[in-house]
Amino acid sequence: MKPHVMGWDRASMDVKRVVDVFRVDPESVGNGTPTERAPDPELGTDIIPAARYYSPEFMKLEWERVWTKVWLLGGRSDDLKEPGDYICTDIGKESVLIVRQADGSIRTFPNLCLHRGNRLRPEGRGNAEKFQCMYHHWTYGLDGKLEHIPDLCTFVQGGPDGMKLTPLPCIEWNSFVWFSLDPNVEPFDDFIDPLKRHLEPYHPERMAWTRDITVEWDCNWKTSVDAFSETYHVQGIHPQLKWYLDDVNVQIDCYGKHNRYLIPFAAISPRVAMPSQIPPAIHEIMVHAGMDPAEYEGRVSDIRRDVQLFKREHGAAQGKDYSELNDEQLTDDYHYTIFPNVSVNVHADDVMLFRQRPHATDPNKMYYDIWMFGLVPEGEEWPERVRHQRFKHGDKTIGQVLDQDAFNLPTVQTGMQSDFFPGLHIGDQELRIRHFHKVLDDYIYTHGKGPDDL
Amino acid sequence: MDLGLAGKKAILVGAARGIGYSVAEVLAREGCDIALTARSEDSVKDAVANLSKYGTKVVGKAVNAKQPEEYKAWIDWAIEALDGVDILVPFTSAGGGMGSEKYWYNAFETDVMGVVRAVEGVIEKMTEQQRGAIVLLGSTSVGEAMGGPQAYNAMKASLITWGKQLALWHGKNGIRVNVVSPGPIEFEGGNWDMIKGTMEKFYASQLRQQPSGRLGRPEEVAKAIAFLASDAASWCNGSHLVVDGGFTNRTHF
Repeated sequence: MKPHVMGWDRASMDVKRVVDVFRVDPESVGNGTPTERAPDPELGTDIIPAARYYSPEFMKLEWERVWTKVWLLGGRSDDLKEPGDYICTDIGKESVLIVRQADGSIRTFPNLCLHRGNRLRPEGRGNAEKFQCMYHHWTYGLDGKLEHIPDLCTFVQGGPDGMKLTPLPCIEWNSFVWFSLDPNVEPFDDFIDPLKRHLEPYHPERMAWTRDITVEWDCNWKTSVDAFSETYHVQGIHPQLKWYLDDVNVQIDCYGKHNRYLIPFAAISPRVAMPSQIPPAIHEIMVHAGMDPAEYEGRVSDIRRDVQLFKREHGAAQGKDYSELNDEQLTDDYHYTIFPNVSVNVHADDVMLFRQRPHATDPNKMYYDIWMFGLVPEGEEWPERVRHQRFKHGDKTIGQVLDQDAFNLPTVQTGMQSDFFPGLHIGDQELRIRHFHKVLDDYIYTHGKGPDDL
Repeated sequence: MDLGLAGKKAILVGAARGIGYSVAEVLAREGCDIALTARSEDSVKDAVANLSKYGTKVVGKAVNAKQPEEYKAWIDWAIEALDGVDILVPFTSAGGGMGSEKYWYNAFETDVMGVVRAVEGVIEKMTEQQRGAIVLLGSTSVGEAMGGPQAYNAMKASLITWGKQLALWHGKNGIRVNVVSPGPIEFEGGNWDMIKGTMEKFYASQLRQQPSGRLGRPEEVAKAIAFLASDAASWCNGSHLVVDGGFTNRTHF
């Protein structure tokens, strides 16, 4: 078995120091999030063809074989508190209504009127007693049944078959709602495997919305997924994070459809010299944990471990139940890609989730949903739901780090379309990108990938 | 010009990195024997090993300057190891920080008392020798805006006052005391290295304030300190030398 922490030679990289980071013993995690390093999949070294990022043909294949076949993240359960609460969310050319029923269950159906195809609701959230089409007032119940057609007697053929909108599979898991456009989709438990055990210990149901933003980005949805799947770019576009996280001692794990990496936070990158003063961003981590950095007597290199120990000791008194999390999880970033389009950073005190949705018609555009949630300590009032904001690429800042991520994407998207760019030349630190594209291949090329396939 | 440093015995506190280490290097190169310390055992070991190449006696041991007993014992040990002390340069500092009252105690304990205890630890020997040079470290932040109202800036200012009074008091015993105030100095692992990486705009604004368009290097301060510590500066006593490449705006009359 390879060394627990690393799959690459840390001494030969562009680093100043070789650093051994504290890791919990994988045997010690019990029923918590597994920490054991998964064996690296054999995925070869071929380029990833650039055309899959801009070809309309490939986009069509993705629609037919991925987006209409998989489970998709729809929203948050706590946005569906009362009967009639609904989330209307778009995916490609489709739009669905996810609706809380009187019996507490949820149902999902296409957001359209069976009469002339009009959308019943604009994208967003709301509460309805019924869904009435604005056009001719055809009216549907919360369960999608067509309850009323004005002047039904004038339709000699009667109402549409079944008098209901197609019920779509949907499920609530771990405070989120999921749906599929495929009525015959595999069971959700099979799809999400093995991530239930990984993500449930974070208890996102104890967290409340802190940010809800959708940005129309000028790149393909996969350009975005790739950007969040490796830490190699930290030394490139996020120089400031070298005094916040360790981008070298990263553990990568690829599972069936999904993958993750574990990044030590509150740490100094081996790419820079160890400072003697506490860096501002790590200072903030300490303050957030309830520590006074001015009181701190240890070395900067000890902070990560000391924050873990401090949170372990004081979490309960702060109304934060960390009992199901291991020590690493109290500081570090466990980052998962849930195939195909969810990139989620899970932390003990917050979740930072990105949902990456394709544009309906243009492979060079996508929708980047930023969903952030913060732990609400026990006894504190549940905060008011933040307002959803929507804008276009570069219009507004979404924070320094994400701005840095966003900045490159349009030029990556245009550069990839050059005749002189055959495809992505991927290294070991980017193994998750290779894994993601392999899973994509398995969906798209069900009978095996041919030499001319993208 | 001969600085007359060859054979001198220097005690350097907080000299494993940055300006402190650079002073150790300049003095060793000039032929001084050196006893140095810092908080981390490893970094002291590395510094001693690196300085040995200059062929003078270099010894070191880690110490926590916030522990008066331990610190005093270290100074005694250093004087004994060098068989005397001609030069003292204490660099102890807790660094900056705002928002917690504790920063005042930290700055007092480390920036002020770390220096006071070192001076008091050597003054008897220097008096007995009727010979000695002490250089204290101020900062340009004592006189100009830097990072907000901080305990660090105010405590550093107190050293300039105290340094002058030491000079007046001990001058009769052949002991000179001077203060050097560096401007922003950049070196790997130093604060400005981190600021360059984490606060790019602030760093750039500081560069614009430097007439030469760059920050200082440790050896550029170290050489000024070495001069004041040397016999070549025999008539410098109670002076305050700003070494900042022209960073500060004020005219010092």
